[in-house]
Amino acid sequence: MKTEDELLQFATRRHFFSRCTVGVGGIALASLLGDNSLAAAEPANQPHFPPRIKNVIYLFMAGGPSQFELFDYKPKLQQFDGKAAPESLLKGKRFAFMDTFAKEPPKLLGTRREFKQHGKSGLYFSDLLPHIATVADDIAMVTGVNTDNFNHGPAKCFVNTGSTRFGRPSIGAWVTYGIGSESKDLPGFVVLQSGPRGPRGGAALWGSGFLPTGYQGVPFRSGGDPILDLSSPLGVTDNTQMQSLETIRDLNLSKLAETGDPEIATRIGAYEMAYRMQTSGPELIDFGKESRKTLQAYGAEPGKSSYANNCLLARRLVERGVRFVQLYHTDWDHHADLGQPLDNVCREIDRPTAALIKDLKERNLLDQTLVIWGGEFGRTPMGETRDKSSKIGRNHHIDAYTFFMAGGGVRPGTVVGGTDELGFSSTDPIHVHDIQATLLHQLGLDHTKLTFKFQGRNFRLTDVGGKVIDKLLA
Amino acid sequence: MALKLAFLFVAVTRLYSQPGVLPILKQSCQPCHNQRLRTSGLALDSREDMMAGGNRGPSVKPGLPGESMLIQAVEQSGDLKMPPNSKLKPEQIAELKQWVAEGAKWPEQTTAKPRPGADHWAFQLPKRPTPPVVKTSAWVRNPIDNFILARLEREAVKPSPEADQNVLLRRLSLDLTGLPPSPKQIQDFLADQSPDAYLKVVDRLLASKHYGERWGRHWLDVARYADSDGYTIDGPRQIWKYRDWVINALNRDLPFDQFVIEQIAGDLLPNPTQDQLVATGFHRNTPSNFEGGIDFEQYRVEAVADRVATTGAAFLGLTIGCARCHDHKFDPISQREFYQIFAFLNNTDEVGSEAERYDFNRPILDMTTPQEHARVEASRIQRTMLSRELAEYVKKLAAKPIGPDDPPRFKDPGLQERVANLRALVKREPKITTTMIMRELPAPRESYIHLGGDFLRRGAPVTAGVPSVLSSKPVSGNRLQLAKWLVDAENPLTARVTVNRMWQFYFGKGLVESENDFGLLGAKPTHPELLDWLATEFIARGWSQKAMHRLIVTSATYRQSSRHRKDLEEIDPNNNLLAHQIRMRLEAEILRDTALVSSGLLTPVVGGPSVYPPIPEGAMAVTQVKREWPAAVGKDRYRRGLYTFFYRSAPYPGMGLFDAPDATASCTRRVRSNSPLQALTILNDQTYIEFGRALAKRIQSEAGATDADRLNYAFLVTLGRKAKPAELERLTRFLVLQRDEFRTDTTSASLLVMTPQVFDSSPTENEEEEVAIDPKTIPELAAWTSVARVLFNLDDFMTRE
Repeated sequence: MKTEDELLQFATRRHFFSRCTVGVGGIALASLLGDNSLAAAEPANQPHFPPRIKNVIYLFMAGGPSQFELFDYKPKLQQFDGKAAPESLLKGKRFAFMDTFAKEPPKLLGTRREFKQHGKSGLYFSDLLPHIATVADDIAMVTGVNTDNFNHGPAKCFVNTGSTRFGRPSIGAWVTYGIGSESKDLPGFVVLQSGPRGPRGGAALWGSGFLPTGYQGVPFRSGGDPILDLSSPLGVTDNTQMQSLETIRDLNLSKLAETGDPEIATRIGAYEMAYRMQTSGPELIDFGKESRKTLQAYGAEPGKSSYANNCLLARRLVERGVRFVQLYHTDWDHHADLGQPLDNVCREIDRPTAALIKDLKERNLLDQTLVIWGGEFGRTPMGETRDKSSKIGRNHHIDAYTFFMAGGGVRPGTVVGGTDELGFSSTDPIHVHDIQATLLHQLGLDHTKLTFKFQGRNFRLTDVGGKVIDKLLA
Repeated sequence: MALKLAFLFVAVTRLYSQPGVLPILKQSCQPCHNQRLRTSGLALDSREDMMAGGNRGPSVKPGLPGESMLIQAVEQSGDLKMPPNSKLKPEQIAELKQWVAEGAKWPEQTTAKPRPGADHWAFQLPKRPTPPVVKTSAWVRNPIDNFILARLEREAVKPSPEADQNVLLRRLSLDLTGLPPSPKQIQDFLADQSPDAYLKVVDRLLASKHYGERWGRHWLDVARYADSDGYTIDGPRQIWKYRDWVINALNRDLPFDQFVIEQIAGDLLPNPTQDQLVATGFHRNTPSNFEGGIDFEQYRVEAVADRVATTGAAFLGLTIGCARCHDHKFDPISQREFYQIFAFLNNTDEVGSEAERYDFNRPILDMTTPQEHARVEASRIQRTMLSRELAEYVKKLAAKPIGPDDPPRFKDPGLQERVANLRALVKREPKITTTMIMRELPAPRESYIHLGGDFLRRGAPVTAGVPSVLSSKPVSGNRLQLAKWLVDAENPLTARVTVNRMWQFYFGKGLVESENDFGLLGAKPTHPELLDWLATEFIARGWSQKAMHRLIVTSATYRQSSRHRKDLEEIDPNNNLLAHQIRMRLEAEILRDTALVSSGLLTPVVGGPSVYPPIPEGAMAVTQVKREWPAAVGKDRYRRGLYTFFYRSAPYPGMGLFDAPDATASCTRRVRSNSPLQALTILNDQTYIEFGRALAKRIQSEAGATDADRLNYAFLVTLGRKAKPAELERLTRFLVLQRDEFRTDTTSASLLVMTPQVFDSSPTENEEEEVAIDPKTIPELAAWTSVARVLFNLDDFMTRE
């Protein structure tokens, strides 16, 4: 009988190198073997050039936040408030709910919000985001962004996977496929959700598409187990769990000896990591060691499901080496009313977002973490009224919307892109594929080289487009 | 040489007669529009091609320069401006105009060259090879082995010995039915010394109703079957009748050609049966978008494009979907040809506008049973009664004067009760059975090339047709003609692709490893002659799928051991030579089924509406629209995995984690991943605890009294074999520890044993299951539940060897 170590070594290096399915299992086994280079040596798991950053926190604002009410200050739009939108600007454009145009020609809508410049950089923010405005000098605005589809589902899919068709790998999956994760106890790609409902499109938004499933985003739940089935079942004590895992491991080892199937070694590694996840999970979600000051800054309340809690959890995740954290916050689809409903959602996200950026900065994590904030599209310069309401909202608009970024090697206090006076179009177009290319670039990945062969062709996140936004980078 | 000179001479003379035209075309048009590149589908280097035109339509109308696209483009009078970013000189434009006005005479009648790639192996008809002669003929059980062994002998590699009997039986049972063998079946097989013992098992399994479930699920992957609409709303849909049709079709061994025809065009057969209509659900499994503010036509087009891509992947093993926006980059399939197949599939009576939103999912087939009909009627009558009564009550209430201390009218308890009753009734209203089908429009839609794949950019009109490299004769007409062509003896691909996919399920990968790409960039077959032999054999055996399964599983190649071979690590790491079988992790559904059989819980009912086995709390929290998941409490709790309701946007967690496809597009091969989240599922999910407890009870009641008897029996029902001494020793040690644990900690023991009630307090149909357990037996049951849990988590359990 071979010794345990010999058996595990039996899983030859070539076995791991010959496949690109290392994922978390491979990494676990690597550490089990006391050989951390194992996973890193996998060609698909290596940056193309030295990475500028380590982690990404992607704040996905689902529904399409109105850039006109938040960042993109347009005095001209105020001036023409209530005037019919110029036909020349509408010609050839397609919008969601176009049937409403037929009933009544759309009118331009100046914002009802107050705008001011903030910080040394003088970035514009409306009064809806007083907290984020305080970190203006850490923020880079990306305006005039255009995307490809004006319906929520396909548009969300596009921003996340680079394609409007469901079933392609998501950006977090591409990243962990490309460079893996530094966390040994947690998945490399974690998804957190808040808001009144799940994001449209569901699991496909963080799926692995045709990449091995180990790269898909793992949703952390806000109530109960952060990961499905993370806790031992009722009646299974720590002791029983340990004894069970040891027995499983011993029996699997003897099967490995008997058959020589390296897949068994991977499975043993997967069970090791599962156990580590079980033991590190509770500590991760326990905010007990966070100071009261921190909790207050975020507005986080232990045990509650909220965007604020998720922001704090995101920081804890990147502290623990998780590569890609994506937060979804829903309810930005303000067709009918840019008043109270928008107040509410801004209040939910404003303080925690600002706190996250400050907190990362204080802990010297901001420089290695890219925080990115944005939705699937923006909203029209024209107003929209529904059902003869006295309230007014805006329709979906895909030609000129706004993202912002902080940390992660972007040039703070700048605006790149730009929109025309009425906010219809971009003056220096930036496409969603460009944002994706830039994000990969910061992680040391060339978006044209990060490919996966499927159905006879090499696919990539940015399809056939995308260029790194150099002006954005410090 | 002389001939060449003569040709040159003629060409030059013609050039003089039309001095400007050819140089203009050559310099300004042909760099992109030639027979090799065909940018936008257009070649301008032969008259034939020029007259045929490109994706936008004919380029030249002889005699009518004003109506010729070529002239409009170079004049840059419309949207199309050519050449890009420059303009011809006025005299050049004049020259072209005059040339077209004079009839666009071409200097040479050149014919278009054959398409590059047309000679690719997969586009030629399979030729029937003779099985090669081998030296070790004793090893050969059927012609498959001749092909495999001949190659092995050439490479001087020995095949592996036959797997042992237990492994063979478990392998066969899992491969053919997806269910592991029972202890009795194992005993019978081991006891049967007759030479055809193995064959008898094969035939028993192929005759089992579970065969259709096992192979049906493989086909449902290809058909992208799901129980919901997908996209953002992802509402539930009824199409399970199609799933059942697939299962039944396989069980009765419907010949594959008919299997294809009925699914693609069952509705167009003369006097189609209800069954043949149900079969057309195949192409209705596309996701459909119900989001507000959409253009329905856009998503109808999306669904048709998906049908083209799926037809390509499922039958032809080609990535035809790549030709949607431009000509295929590698295979000789043009964008025009994509839209020619599109034209076959573009004529279904589906919703295409906002006004039809109410009729979403049309066309459907009403399959209401008489009982359902009666129940619906009864419910309607009751509803009418309740509504009338409510109306009267409201009238009375309105007539009553309202005092200052009275509650507002809408808060009237009598009113609220009546409204609640009515609401409850509506909610309970019995469902009627329907299924989504294909139905042709009275007149076909106009189909055209979508420039750049954008349905709003209308190119040249196209009529139905198939890629020219795949057919020597034109194919046109409706879907039925498409279906017949797919299974025509002259089709080079369908039989090959189908047998290759069968092979893949038995050996982990196909003879052509890129099972969905037989094109120029696809893998070459490892055994081209065997592939063609199997393809021709398939047709010769009347497209019988069962016959092919029988052939493959009775080969010596299939019966080999799956032991890793150190001697092959260098020379054949990917097992291309097939010198051994392989170990494969069970698919998501089969893992569940295997646990259900082992624990004795399986409800072996075939077919019916999809079911809702329990899921962990919070598993449905990711969707936009909150979906109900009424966890089954009766027999439906223990149905096979393929009957689990599948929401595209929130797949049952135990499925996606174990690589079940997401049903967004046709899936011809599943990934087999190996992850910590899988470990967590089998270790901790209440489903496996529930199965484990049942297994523990089964061991206690069916096996002998000693620990060794019981452990051996536990091995038999979970792994299909007896325990080895070392395994027995290790598990005994664990059992003893667990017994101590639970005798001391009776609270934990009770919790473990009572688990199902913890997460579902509804009464079960199996009342006796829930009879109070004698407290004294609880620690022992808990200890055995722990043993069961360990067994479920063994690599051996979740692997087909």
